[in-house]
Amino acid sequence: MSSATRSPAGFRPRWLAVLALIVVVAGFELYVSWLALHPSVTDNYRAYYIDQTTTCLDKPVSGRYTLGQTVSFLPDDPPGAWALRVCGWDGPVGDGTHSIGTRSMLHFMLGSAPGDLILRLQMTAIMAPDGRTQRLAVSGNGVLLGETTIGNGLTKSADFAVPASIIDASDGRLDIALDYPTATEMVPHDSDTHYRSIKLLSLQLRRPGDPPSAGAQDDPLAQRHHAGPD
Amino acid sequence: MVADLGMPRTRRGVPLAVILVAIPVGFALLGLLLRLFAYLVAGWEPHLGGYPDGLCRWDCQWYVILAKSGYDPFPVPETIDAGNWAFFPLFPMIIGGLYALSQADIMTIATGVSIAFSIAAALVAWPLLERNIRAYTLYCAFLLCGPFSIYFTSFLTEVLFVLLTNCIMLALRRSNYIAAGGFAALLSATRIVGVFMVFAIVVQYLAEYRQKGEPWRKLPAHLWQKPEIVLAVLLTPLGLFGYMAYLHFYMGDALAFSHVQRAWGRVPGNPFYYLWMALTDWPDTGFWPSTNQWLGLSVVVGLGATAVLALRRQYAMALFCLICLIVPLSLGLASMLRFVTALSPIVLVVITWLARSRLIYAVSLLGFVAADYFFTTGWLQEWLPLV
Repeated sequence: MSSATRSPAGFRPRWLAVLALIVVVAGFELYVSWLALHPSVTDNYRAYYIDQTTTCLDKPVSGRYTLGQTVSFLPDDPPGAWALRVCGWDGPVGDGTHSIGTRSMLHFMLGSAPGDLILRLQMTAIMAPDGRTQRLAVSGNGVLLGETTIGNGLTKSADFAVPASIIDASDGRLDIALDYPTATEMVPHDSDTHYRSIKLLSLQLRRPGDPPSAGAQDDPLAQRHHAGPD
Repeated sequence: MVADLGMPRTRRGVPLAVILVAIPVGFALLGLLLRLFAYLVAGWEPHLGGYPDGLCRWDCQWYVILAKSGYDPFPVPETIDAGNWAFFPLFPMIIGGLYALSQADIMTIATGVSIAFSIAAALVAWPLLERNIRAYTLYCAFLLCGPFSIYFTSFLTEVLFVLLTNCIMLALRRSNYIAAGGFAALLSATRIVGVFMVFAIVVQYLAEYRQKGEPWRKLPAHLWQKPEIVLAVLLTPLGLFGYMAYLHFYMGDALAFSHVQRAWGRVPGNPFYYLWMALTDWPDTGFWPSTNQWLGLSVVVGLGATAVLALRRQYAMALFCLICLIVPLSLGLASMLRFVTALSPIVLVVITWLARSRLIYAVSLLGFVAADYFFTTGWLQEWLPLV
């Protein structure tokens, strides 16, 4: 009888051992495949990584902020900015913190009843490959606060009124969303998670009547490295 | 494999095994010295005590963190969206284990292990190079003292990938499919493309089966009687499945290594579109090719060598190399030069060709050694095609 037609019984111990291993390994791999099809993740993770319905991957941040304070988003005050940055930001680099994707978010914990507020954002539009003007829609706790446009490569300070009602309804929590309908790819075939729209230079949340921020230089906590004497 | 070294003595009476070990050890020492000089010239604040740490750049730095601290949880506590789940675990586990045991400098451990793995890869390649001493010498120089030695002697997974690929090639040559499957299991835990070795194993098996004159209709019965190949096929992705199981129980997503590509900005696309875009990305000034052109050229060389493998009827390894080129290329050109140099079947083909002529061999050997210094300098000076 040739080896090709010999019964497995002729080499049973090895054959059985190989067969047993096949069953064990295949069983394990089927089980892991089942796990892969049933991820146990947060909605946030699923939306960003699996369903790919958002470009904004939330991070838990403290939202620690003193009303009226200017926070620089240049490289000179990373702790101040990091306490507010939830998602959709990259950097900071020398000229600001870049928005990435089609939405960025900021989170503030303001305590109880801060009243009506004004959000000031100082931003520079990116130099888009097609020179387009950037449009920006700003929402607070899901309510549209306003829209603005910034010309290609230009810098602008924009104010948005934040009604007390939307903060009171969320126990002093304020989540700001910046949506970029004109965000663009900077190189061909770029990922939407890398789309660019603006660079944030500084922000300020103040009560009406408080002095408005003039920009990142008003951040009292910024660690500046001057080339010469003050 | 050891039996291959147990050969008779050379004409001068020196055991061949001694020579086969001495060659890579000599190149390893020379390479260490050349890269030290490059570091002292081009490193960041270079000093003797900063070597070999100072060679660690780009992905190497990710591996150092991975070996020390393990995988990122979700949400990633650091400043970026991307977790380190895309980096496969086997090599960082080995280095991390040795680090935990010794508490020595992690780059010193990684450098020592990488050099040891490179030497082992060369020794395993001896029979694959048809016991040609010129080809063997050139291959040792390529790994340990050549233009891309930084990949094989620092802290990147390429060296383990090469070692395991060589082990699989040798096991397949000996028709030892279970050993091939076992090594392939480790390969699939080393880099994401390692799992594609399963196709090479199947092709090799079928080619061998047909060479014996066996008809296709008897294949099922043959598999039932000799199920080793089935076990080998199932063993191959075991490393990947083990990592997936770990990811699921650690952070809830067994496919996190793949999903995280979104945070890295990798967009799946037509690989040939990416290749064309790279090759036509002309430099802004001068004639020196752009970074993308260098990366595109490395892919062209890789595809050419793959075609040579196919022409030599090495279909299994040709298929493996083709997949290992096309899959990462479908996500863009990033790191393609590194990926091409880590494809052992391709490198062995090129080395064998260079060793055919005594003159080309001598020029290549000198070129490799000189290039070790210059390419390491380029690596330290952030010459992007090397990343």
